Amino acid sequence: MAAKRSEGVGRGRAQPWQRMSSTAAATPPRLAPLASLGSLVDPPLKGEGFAGRGAPLVRGQEEARTQPMTPRLELRNISKRYPGVLANDDISLAIMPGEIHAVLGENGAGKSTLMKIIYGAAQADSGEIYCDGKLIQDHNPAVSRALGVEMVYQHFALFESVTVAENIALCLRGPFDRRALSSRIVELSQRYGMPIDPARKVHELSVGERQRVEIVRCLLQNPKLLILDEPTSVLTPQAVSKLFETLRQLAAEGCSILYISHKLDEVQQLCDSATVLRNGRVTGTAKPKETTSLELARMMVGSNLPHMNVTPSNLSDGPVLEVRDLSAESRSHHGVNLRDVSFEVFGGEIVGIAGVSGNGQAELISLLSGERTHKRVEAIRIGGKDAGRLHANARRRLGMTFVPEERLGRGAVPSHTLWENALLTGNRAGLVRSGFVDRGRAVAFAKNIIERFGVKANGPEAAAQSLSGGNLQKYIVGREIVLAPKLLLVSQPTWGVDVGAAAFIRQTLVDLSRAGAAVLVVSEELDELFEICDRLLVICQGRVSPPLMRAETNREEVGLLMTRLGTATSEKSGLALQD
Amino acid sequence: MRYRIERRPEPSALMRVAAPAIATLLTIIVGSVFFAVLGYDPLATLNAFFVEPVSSLNGLSELLLKASPLILIACGLAVGFRANVWNIGAEGQLIIGAIAACGVGLFYPDPESFLLLPLMLIAGAVAGMAWAAIPAFLRARMNTNEILVTLMLTYIATLLLSWLVHGPWRDPAGFNYPQTALLPGAAMFEPFDYSYRLNSSIFITVIAVVAMWLFADRSFLGYKLSVSGAAPLAARYAGFRESSAVWTGLLAGGAAAGLAGMAELSGPLGQLSPQISPGYGFAAIIVAFVGRLNAFGIVLGGLLLSLLFLGGEAVQMSLGLPSALTRIFQGILLFFLLAADFFIFYRLRRLAEHA
Amino acid sequence: MRDVTRREFLRYSGAGGVALGVGGLPGLAAAEEKLKIGVVYVSPIAEIGWTKQHSLGVEAIKAELGDKVEITVLDNIFMPQDAERVFRELAASGNKLIFGTSFSHGTPMQKVAPRFPETAFEHCSGIVHLANLGTFEAKYYEGTFVAGAAAGHMTKTGKIGFIGGFPIPDIVGPANALLLGAQSVKPEITCNAIFLNSWFDPGKEKEAANTLVSQGCDVICSMTDTPTGVQVAGEKGAWSIGYASDMSKFGSGKHLTAFMLDWSRDYVGAAKAVAAGTWKPEVRWDGLAAGVVKMAPYNEAIPADVREKLKQLETDIGSGKVHPYTGELKDQDGNVKVAAGSVLSDPDIRGMNWFVQGMIGNLG
Repeated sequence: MAAKRSEGVGRGRAQPWQRMSSTAAATPPRLAPLASLGSLVDPPLKGEGFAGRGAPLVRGQEEARTQPMTPRLELRNISKRYPGVLANDDISLAIMPGEIHAVLGENGAGKSTLMKIIYGAAQADSGEIYCDGKLIQDHNPAVSRALGVEMVYQHFALFESVTVAENIALCLRGPFDRRALSSRIVELSQRYGMPIDPARKVHELSVGERQRVEIVRCLLQNPKLLILDEPTSVLTPQAVSKLFETLRQLAAEGCSILYISHKLDEVQQLCDSATVLRNGRVTGTAKPKETTSLELARMMVGSNLPHMNVTPSNLSDGPVLEVRDLSAESRSHHGVNLRDVSFEVFGGEIVGIAGVSGNGQAELISLLSGERTHKRVEAIRIGGKDAGRLHANARRRLGMTFVPEERLGRGAVPSHTLWENALLTGNRAGLVRSGFVDRGRAVAFAKNIIERFGVKANGPEAAAQSLSGGNLQKYIVGREIVLAPKLLLVSQPTWGVDVGAAAFIRQTLVDLSRAGAAVLVVSEELDELFEICDRLLVICQGRVSPPLMRAETNREEVGLLMTRLGTATSEKSGLALQD
Repeated sequence: MRYRIERRPEPSALMRVAAPAIATLLTIIVGSVFFAVLGYDPLATLNAFFVEPVSSLNGLSELLLKASPLILIACGLAVGFRANVWNIGAEGQLIIGAIAACGVGLFYPDPESFLLLPLMLIAGAVAGMAWAAIPAFLRARMNTNEILVTLMLTYIATLLLSWLVHGPWRDPAGFNYPQTALLPGAAMFEPFDYSYRLNSSIFITVIAVVAMWLFADRSFLGYKLSVSGAAPLAARYAGFRESSAVWTGLLAGGAAAGLAGMAELSGPLGQLSPQISPGYGFAAIIVAFVGRLNAFGIVLGGLLLSLLFLGGEAVQMSLGLPSALTRIFQGILLFFLLAADFFIFYRLRRLAEHA
Repeated sequence: MRDVTRREFLRYSGAGGVALGVGGLPGLAAAEEKLKIGVVYVSPIAEIGWTKQHSLGVEAIKAELGDKVEITVLDNIFMPQDAERVFRELAASGNKLIFGTSFSHGTPMQKVAPRFPETAFEHCSGIVHLANLGTFEAKYYEGTFVAGAAAGHMTKTGKIGFIGGFPIPDIVGPANALLLGAQSVKPEITCNAIFLNSWFDPGKEKEAANTLVSQGCDVICSMTDTPTGVQVAGEKGAWSIGYASDMSKFGSGKHLTAFMLDWSRDYVGAAKAVAAGTWKPEVRWDGLAAGVVKMAPYNEAIPADVREKLKQLETDIGSGKVHPYTGELKDQDGNVKVAAGSVLSDPDIRGMNWFVQGMIGNLG
């Protein structure tokens, strides 16, 4: 183990970082490139940085691809079976040093399993993994880290109540010097263009900043291969492009990057090569920059993508939903207070609320849905009636329905059957008679949703928790739409839903609005909002922007609003995104 | 080799049926070994435990008499438990119900009146509900913990009873012993047959079971409560008020316990003394869970618990087992029963080496 | 307390008045079969205490009648609901003599006895008796009077302490007698009394004993079902008086004496009478003379002459020469309850719900 580490690493990563001095002058020469403050100004010297590591000189991605060399990581015929599922079926792929390699696939295609196997968090049933040409045996995360493989998880494992530096220190072995660590974090984060303050507590950080903490934590280990699992799902467009710069910079220094995503455009922008997975098998490899989105999508989905049909909208005379000067304190400790939120949604249109998560969306949606009431009755009007103090049920009587972000436990009771979950909001649709549940009607109601919305489920008696995320989402969306709402609130309509289902859900929302309903969509996926919305609002730090016509705006404008709205009044809590 | 307990994606339908059978089998095996080691004939002991108590009409009457308050209270409690409202103070509500009923029975001007029993019934139910309304109010308005409040109120109820029977309600002709006078005949439930103790109060329990089934499995209010219990956020999402679940859950438990207290008073007791309940209010919690919070499961659970109790006496009588040993055996059965139920929702899995 | 004469007392006791005059139950003497006897204890049998003393009574039957009897014992039957079933079950399964050993067994026995007129029921601590339900009880107050006299000789502070289970006449009376015994030595002695409202609550009893000691009591008498009072007194250096069993081994050498209970006579007598077919329901209420109440060996620390006096006192009470409740007796408020020269009637003793002058404390 120890031997492996020193041979594979040879660049000071075996050297405990804490022995490094906090001053650049005293830094051992081998570490100079990484520690140099000069890198803030200029890109680092590409080749020299690795000269001392015994790694081949790499000048960029082109060379990385053209020069024949040993792959940094090679998978041969990896298979992994879980009870009932063949999660990975005979997967092979190779990543060269300095290469950015995408693993592309829909949810459930087997990407996460594959990453766990590479990182050693799960063991393959068969197949081999080679690192720099050497077979890895007795694989586990510790071995991976010793080999210089680091992973940034989709869901961060950070302790909220302690500082960035302390979080990072937790991942290090042995004693450490807090000041040295802090200055090292500052250096590294600045060098890669993602500044973070090591003294801040994690709960104060935005999601994007938390991701940086994770990445910096990995970089401190001087990785040779960095695995990122769906890293952009929580980032603003600006943050995404910043992250890509960082990743390109890392790759240019010779670090291989394995980039897991289901977003075609990102993969095309960033990656040198891609392995596409579907149902646990490799369905193709491609050079994304030379392949069309359609071809990639076909490999991913296995069929042609459904075509969105967005017809022009026909607005109602008066607004269906009016929000006037809505201000509210957040009830959660780390939540965001809403400040003077005003907007309207008319029948026949879809209004989208864009924003990085944690900027007041949760507060806004719970106030609109009636899960939380507001003492000013006129702050929220539904169908022309003051609704601020009405509870969810009373608002539903006014014609509102709502698809929440959390499907299990909020939009549906996990342990209940689908027909029981139909009752949750469908109880007004004749499913309850004189206080008793009409089971037959409830089952028929559920069956109708299952059929009409193509929900893959074991009939109305299936427990909600037995459905896949996408299918349950279809069921909940279906339930709320079957109730023929005048106003539909939707939060993250396609989060975690596969491409086919997402397209279907989006089309359903468009159809509903074109039939005259007012639809409000809260989403973190800008693409989605641009695809279906007539108007866009941006929420940031509890403030909501004036409406933007979809046809008259663009991602850059929205992206800027996503980060800037609130910073005028609150520097501290603003996203420390420097662009 | 390492194992891990993990949640099943879906509750196992097989285990749902098999769990009680597995539990029974394990109990018989472990119990037999236990009795054999102690020098008692396992077969005879098990026979005395499970068969003897119910092999006579009197035995059956006693079984129902003992099970009736347990089932009644458990039905009421299960309504709350389904909504995650934890009323563990049914014992106190039972005592208060019995006190109120006794008050009516002792002081109603016409001790012969046919109205006496119905009035006591109402008094018992209302008093039990009133006692449960205290934690309901505190939880709904001030978000206090109903577990603590209901439990504390049990002590208060016990002390109130003690004060009454030592003081103002003490039988004037009873040589200062702490008990009330015996209630008049019109205040007592008629036994079906004077050779046995089982009386018409069993119908209260029958009605409660049917009501519980209708409420929990068929009514919309029951559905709302189950949502509140299983997923509070979903209840809020759907607009079901949390406070209504709290009130319904606690009042149902209070009413059932109050009625049970009244039925004990007007049945086997006939008077108040400092201790009137052999822990029915607490045992009913076990019954509710053994019965999986389901009306018919509760009936089976109540019968089982009561059979265990009678069986415990039977083995003392016929084989001379000390009561401590019978309690251990009762514990073994309950343990296996609840442990087997655990595997409806969870399973044991072998772990790979490095995971 | 209303004035209950002995006759009224018996009339209250239901059919007892009639039953006492009627002849015994059909005899079993001729029968070859064993006499089946059922005994119901209120708590599990412990090393010492109430149920232990009853189990000694049962042992005495076995010793006396050997294999002529078959005895079924159930312990830990406290609640009336359960007791009624158990008595019924015992009677139904052919037991011809059934003992209840707790006051709480009373109402159930009264309900069951009329249904089994062929069965003899004996109730310890009972107040009601029927055609086939007899009662037996001990004159605890005779024991506490003697123990009180011992305390009177030994106390330095002039304060003694009493811990009782419940403020019922069975306890209040003996508490009074304890003080009267002490006052027979030194009239100025007072007694602090605390009731636990439980027969078995060592925690509360410990607290009570500590309180009494801190109030200056240097003799503690505990009339509960645990040795805790005796233990705590010993630890604190106060004298102690045990109840039911000899508790000297718990008293750290400070155990003055104990008023012990011996029910053998009642158990054996009833068993023999039923076997012979001569059993009649009786109201047996005995003390030192019959040996139902016995004094445990006196502590050697008590001067020999005092010990002699105490033994003499036992004899005198047994013979009736001394009656513990001899007037003049005043209650706590100074009202005369028993005129000088007369003694308290038996029904008044059994219903005693007032403290004599010098008692400090409340009755519930």
